[in-house]
Amino acid sequence: MNFSERFAVINSGLAMLGRFARSQPRFFLVMIGAAWGVVYETLRPSSWRRTVIIEFRRNLRQLVGSGFFSVVVVAVITGLGLVSQAVYWLGFAGMAQMTGSLLSSVLLREIAPILVGVILLGRSGMLMLTEMGTLTTSGRLNTLNGMGIDPFLVFVVPRTIATTVSGITLGTIFSVIALGMGYVACWMKGIVTSSIWSFIFDVINSMEPGDYVGIPLKFLLSGASVGLCCCLSGMDVTAEDNLTTFMPRGFSRGIMSILVINVLIDIILGSL
Amino acid sequence: MVENATLSEGDYGFVLKLDDAVPFSDSTGLPSVKYNLSLEPGECVFVECRDSFRAAQFTDFCVGLLPVKPDPSTGKGQGTVSCMGLNWAELDEKRAQALRGRIGRITDDSGWIDLYEMHMNILWPSLHHSRTSYDKLVLEAVHLAESFGLPGLPTQLPEKLSLLDRKRSEYVRTFMNRPSLLLLENPINLGGPIELYNAFLTELTAARERGCAVVWIGSERSAWAGYARPGMQRFRLGSNGLVK
Repeated sequence: MNFSERFAVINSGLAMLGRFARSQPRFFLVMIGAAWGVVYETLRPSSWRRTVIIEFRRNLRQLVGSGFFSVVVVAVITGLGLVSQAVYWLGFAGMAQMTGSLLSSVLLREIAPILVGVILLGRSGMLMLTEMGTLTTSGRLNTLNGMGIDPFLVFVVPRTIATTVSGITLGTIFSVIALGMGYVACWMKGIVTSSIWSFIFDVINSMEPGDYVGIPLKFLLSGASVGLCCCLSGMDVTAEDNLTTFMPRGFSRGIMSILVINVLIDIILGSL
Repeated sequence: MVENATLSEGDYGFVLKLDDAVPFSDSTGLPSVKYNLSLEPGECVFVECRDSFRAAQFTDFCVGLLPVKPDPSTGKGQGTVSCMGLNWAELDEKRAQALRGRIGRITDDSGWIDLYEMHMNILWPSLHHSRTSYDKLVLEAVHLAESFGLPGLPTQLPEKLSLLDRKRSEYVRTFMNRPSLLLLENPINLGGPIELYNAFLTELTAARERGCAVVWIGSERSAWAGYARPGMQRFRLGSNGLVK
């Protein structure tokens, strides 16, 4: 291999590295910018036009309506499995007094926000991604622009707000049902003999002050990141993309954003 | 400019004015040459263009979506494109969108949003840009729909409607909310029923009498042959730009 061939190989290698390095933070930076845009538009009363309100209601109905049954099923399974197992094994190890703190730290703080985020992503986020991708590739968003309708305002803003609201709604439902089912399972097996109120009291008592901010914040931001990530991934498609390329990309971005949000909140609140 | 100020026809000379404007486009679309066009309220201009992509780019240029090419020496745009006396290049995004809300368009792909039923698709721009009550908008839409031969406002998804009903619905959306400017890309399909053609021309004339200016782009001169009158401006949009 002579010098020019070596140079061409190095050149193409560096170009690949540069493309990779540039492409990775690009979407992250787009997300940050768009998140600020959503906050800015949400706080402006003139942004809440009838089209935005209609889109918000339609999506909220779809998100909570379609996600409700999934959340109930997953919460029941989680309650039966995780809570009853935790209570059983802690009792077996003579550490029954740790039940509350374990449930609050594992179920409410870590598992519930991620599971609810994944349900939102799977049930509605992927639908949003497909819809936005189709609207983009078919040129409908350009047509809307030509009519003076900003696609960011009428699609991204209401959808992100709707996923944020449904995130905390479904998260609360999930937490209550999972804890309730866990108690019922243990009570039926005779593992716990205390009342449900003292069981809930144990869980609440073991929560730290930061949890009262951190847990709702995780539900809210997990929902927001799913909505924003799916809408932007859909708008980010190019003419070369098709369902087989942008769906997996949008899904992995969605999962990544849920995990990053949860870890970041843990780090920030843990360091306070 | 005062927020609540409204533009009346006397406030601006031309509804649409392209003044030596050079579009910022590549070689595949609109030729980067000087464009001149002045349109007074109520005036109708015919543009013959056989390339639908070029026609779409021209209407995008008229509504400020395709910007004016910057002059390398001064950094300013080469020429101006103004709508209702307002230069697109000087408007911020919000005002530009509000101004686009005063323009009715017929495009080649129609741009129906398949997530919503047809009645919402028709009302969508009016709901976005106006504060007219929903009931009044529905009444206006029903009146227009009936004049174009529909039994009422179609409530099915766009894909469930026939091509002809989609065309009728497109007319309804275009004439909704009393637009000040109409940009029509191939509005007439010569194979369509004559009643629809007549209804379209009747609404077009009524809109012009209200002061609405019209740019009618067609691939065939025969499309407007029955409507054109002596004295109306006629152009041809080709590789040399807009030629009389």
